[in-house]
Amino acid sequence: MTMSRLEAQPTEVIDRSTTQRFRWNGKRFSGFEGDTIASALAAAGEHVFSRSMKYHRPRGILTADYWDPNLLVQVGDDPNVRAGHRLLEAGMDVQAQNVWPSLRHDIKAANGLVSRFLTAGFYYKTFMRPQKLWPAYERVLATFAPGGKVDPDTPHRYHDKRYTHPDVVVAGAGPAGIEAALAAAAAGARVLLVEHEHAVGGHLRYAHPEPARAALSELRAALDASDVEVLTDSTVTGRYEDNWLGIVQRNHPIAVERLIKARAKVLVVAPGLIERPFVFSGNDRPGVITSGAARRLINLWGVKPGERAVVFTANSDGDAAAADLDRVGVEVAAVIDGRDGRRVSAAQGSSKALEAVLAGGTRTEADLLVVAAGWTAPTSLLNMSGDRPVYDPNAARFFPSDPPGNVLATGGLAGDGSLDELRAHGAATGQLAAERAAAVAHRYQARTARALPVTGDEPAWVADLRVPLRRTHHPELHRSDTHGMIDFSEDVGSKDLVAAAREGYDSVELAKRYTTATMGSAQGKLETVNTVAAIAEARGETIAQVGTTVWRPPYAPLTLGALAGRVFEPVRVSSIHPWHEANGVRTILAGQWIRPDHYGDPAAEVRNVRANVGLIDVTPLGKLDLRGPDIPKLLNLLYTNKWSKLPVGKVRYGMMCAEDGVVLDDGVTGRLGEDHYLMTTTSSGAAGVWEWVENWLQTERPHWRVHVTPVTTAYSSINVAGPKSRELVSRVVEGVDLSPEAFKYMEVRTATVAGVAGCFMWRIGFTGELSFELHVPAGHGMHVWEALMEAGADLGVGPFGLEGQRIMRLEKGHFIVGQDTDGLTLGPSTGLSPLIKLDKDDFAGLPELAWAADRKLPMIVAIQPDDPNVVPEEAAQIVRGDTNEILGRITSSRMSPMLGRAICLGQVEPELAAGGTKVTVLLVSGERISATVMDHHAHFDPDGERLRG
Amino acid sequence: MADSPAFESPVVRSYETSEDGDLLLTDVSATIKWLVRASPDGAVADQLGASFGSSSAAASGATVLGSRPGEWIVLGTAAEAAGAVEGLEGLDSSDLVSCLDWTHGRALFRVTGNEAARMLEKVCSLDWSDPMTPDGAVASASVAKVTCDVARNDVDGTPSYLVFCDRSFGQYLFDALIDAGDEFGLVVGPAGG
Repeated sequence: MTMSRLEAQPTEVIDRSTTQRFRWNGKRFSGFEGDTIASALAAAGEHVFSRSMKYHRPRGILTADYWDPNLLVQVGDDPNVRAGHRLLEAGMDVQAQNVWPSLRHDIKAANGLVSRFLTAGFYYKTFMRPQKLWPAYERVLATFAPGGKVDPDTPHRYHDKRYTHPDVVVAGAGPAGIEAALAAAAAGARVLLVEHEHAVGGHLRYAHPEPARAALSELRAALDASDVEVLTDSTVTGRYEDNWLGIVQRNHPIAVERLIKARAKVLVVAPGLIERPFVFSGNDRPGVITSGAARRLINLWGVKPGERAVVFTANSDGDAAAADLDRVGVEVAAVIDGRDGRRVSAAQGSSKALEAVLAGGTRTEADLLVVAAGWTAPTSLLNMSGDRPVYDPNAARFFPSDPPGNVLATGGLAGDGSLDELRAHGAATGQLAAERAAAVAHRYQARTARALPVTGDEPAWVADLRVPLRRTHHPELHRSDTHGMIDFSEDVGSKDLVAAAREGYDSVELAKRYTTATMGSAQGKLETVNTVAAIAEARGETIAQVGTTVWRPPYAPLTLGALAGRVFEPVRVSSIHPWHEANGVRTILAGQWIRPDHYGDPAAEVRNVRANVGLIDVTPLGKLDLRGPDIPKLLNLLYTNKWSKLPVGKVRYGMMCAEDGVVLDDGVTGRLGEDHYLMTTTSSGAAGVWEWVENWLQTERPHWRVHVTPVTTAYSSINVAGPKSRELVSRVVEGVDLSPEAFKYMEVRTATVAGVAGCFMWRIGFTGELSFELHVPAGHGMHVWEALMEAGADLGVGPFGLEGQRIMRLEKGHFIVGQDTDGLTLGPSTGLSPLIKLDKDDFAGLPELAWAADRKLPMIVAIQPDDPNVVPEEAAQIVRGDTNEILGRITSSRMSPMLGRAICLGQVEPELAAGGTKVTVLLVSGERISATVMDHHAHFDPDGERLRG
Repeated sequence: MADSPAFESPVVRSYETSEDGDLLLTDVSATIKWLVRASPDGAVADQLGASFGSSSAAASGATVLGSRPGEWIVLGTAAEAAGAVEGLEGLDSSDLVSCLDWTHGRALFRVTGNEAARMLEKVCSLDWSDPMTPDGAVASASVAKVTCDVARNDVDGTPSYLVFCDRSFGQYLFDALIDAGDEFGLVVGPAGG
């Protein structure tokens, strides 16, 4: 096979004035702009591009397009690049994959010597036993794994994403697809035309005769003048419910790939036909190519594919290839016409001195064997739509049977015909698609509140009155009188499939998985029909009887980057966040919130709060604005305690349980006015509690008159804590008497703070200190925070973060829902049984909690390690003595800056819950330490004197 | 509000701004926003005039968006918004009506330009075509994975969209919109209200 660059061809797509230099296996090469990697290499005389997967046989060009299984190469950091499709770029570093030490001399080709033992199922049979050797097997087998190399340090590149809602998506821009798009657009539809190749036109692009070129020019001009959105180098990869389509757009100007999620009202499937190989001995030798490959090389890239050719043809494409070869000076030594019953039987010799052997033994020397044995109808998108295409032996390919009404097939997929007939069918299909899309659009519009009002009834579903394309006879050419390769990607031959069928894997689905035929890079486009034919032959049945595999997404393999698409990771920050950033904050990601964890020394922050006053930004604290006369009923239902008599100006703590009695959330709710309350939730529970409340109101108690509005981020929430907090707050608050007598613990006031009206302020204390929680309209949060910092400078005010707060709440023994409780923690386990009012008429979880009231449950308790310097890890197990019997776990643990010792909360079995009980804690290191259960949850200030100060 | 210090936008980063651009993104979070809730077919609904999914202009000059059944967002200057919500709570004693100043709770951005829909296609799965999302349309949707209210509110015949989100997502979403608009030549306009 001696390939070279031809004189300029009238249909070529290369720009000979722009040379692009690149490297192939370390050597310098050049091509032209518009070349694919493969065409540039072919023009330079290269004829071996890869080694086969199992036997490492040399492989050359087979189809010279996207589907070519022999043209997978490594380009820089990109493995498995399709050299038959990827356009050449200057500076590319192209390497052959999975060869050692080189493509030319690949030692793994020794596998071919033992190929008779490497039959289908070889791995499964050979490496099952002994099981303990599998790790060793795996290491060895991994060295034979096909594909390129992925460098874990490869920089992440940008993959984009887009949604679109066209009326009609046309998959395939051959002549029928283009006509369909044009007709649909002319009928008023919004049309997206998606073409797999780099340019529209389908087979017209490499058809030499003038009528084809004129037709292509005409179609391109019409497209340019239309409103059709055209995506080239793009693939409709999958069709899902209601024509939800995945489309991958490659080489977008701003992204490596763009994943498009399209909701098409009608999908037109027009991918054309894919030429399939013929199975005979040596059919995978370099120099054996499809007729389409020959024509593409000649007409698109001006590459002479050989010097002396044998053409095996059973159709007009093969005839055209013979004509093209002859036209460009390739000696056509023989044309073997498959329509006459003649067959090529084998390809022998080397790639440079190939010998075509005909059935009967006639031999012809050549360096090129061109094969035109028929087509595969790529019905994948139809299969994904629920259609089960049917094989027609007369035409030797599958045809659509009964796709859903919003999926239409046209072009070669639907039948045969002259160019004019195909175009007419495409146009009729586009018209039908537009009419049906109009009906779907009417339906969508009528159902969508925001849409323009529709007029009239939904248009009738237009019947399919298209004149069907005919089906031309084509000889059934699958295998010659010899065996050969069926799946070039997976190195699966017809012998393997016969053997699989003999072993009982005679269902096409089983044989596919057993042999891996059709599972390679071409995803069955080249192999499926021949695979089915081989099984049919082995079973003595017809292809129609065997049936085919179900083609699932993706239509063509796609990258993980394309699937991942653009990564959106929303984060939330409070209004005060810029201050934190400017003041040395160490942040922590809590859910989506970026929160201050500490400002360098959390223990110092704790000491400052205990001695002076500190500020913490608690904006993420969930806040729900409640309005309406039935709020007390709602609160009684949601919380375990009673709410009917909460006066205006008062705040109450409540615990929420789910219907199974498990603790759901907790927080305080204040009554701001007669029918106006503000509920707070845990930060992590904010969204869940809102949903919980709305669920009760919308589905269980829809007659209750309550409006619930989440206002979590409408307010910046600032907790001012410490013995000097009253003094500090008094300096910025107007019109509120802050004295202990006038503003008591668990009360709420509306206030103007630092000139900001409409603030809420309540006295509560998660830290165990005298504290005032200010809820400030968020657009003034920073102003109030800075005012507090400024006003408290002489009081020693400082910020504290989540870590300091967690230490202080642990010193105080306050549990955190989700930290100290889990999905099995019933309400009484928290030690808050007095807040569970079983005498209420009803509340969420009442039956379970009534049941639990008489039972001994695991309890949350305060625990102190006997060695004060050892802080057990959170989640360390509490075990029975020296055994591994688990009796509980540490749920929270810290070193207390105030007590100078380790303190914990934990959950323990009921028999360990009494104060003074000794428990054993198993540390992660394996060491066991003793610890003591305390009488109270509070390690610090158990009587709450500081809190109420 | 009148006596309060200046409103601080959730968008705190600095951007080069210009009013000249075919695709303009503006932070209008300072716009006064009220949330009104009432029966979807009562007297309040009649007065506000915007059914779910649509918008209307109040006599006061405020814009009323029917954001959900029985829920409206009122936008405008302080006077316009106050004028639109004034008296609503006493309009029908049999209906529970609540009016909540939502100005501080929601970030609000405006995207204007003929390519605005193409830009929004990159971050939101709604169908932005004229029949499905005409001028005045109001919807809830995920925008760059943030739950948002979106309203089409054309400016002098040019497509324009208002995007509301929780204030805390404001900076993230503003940056996500800038990123989405980059390929269309998006320009950040001076913040307004």
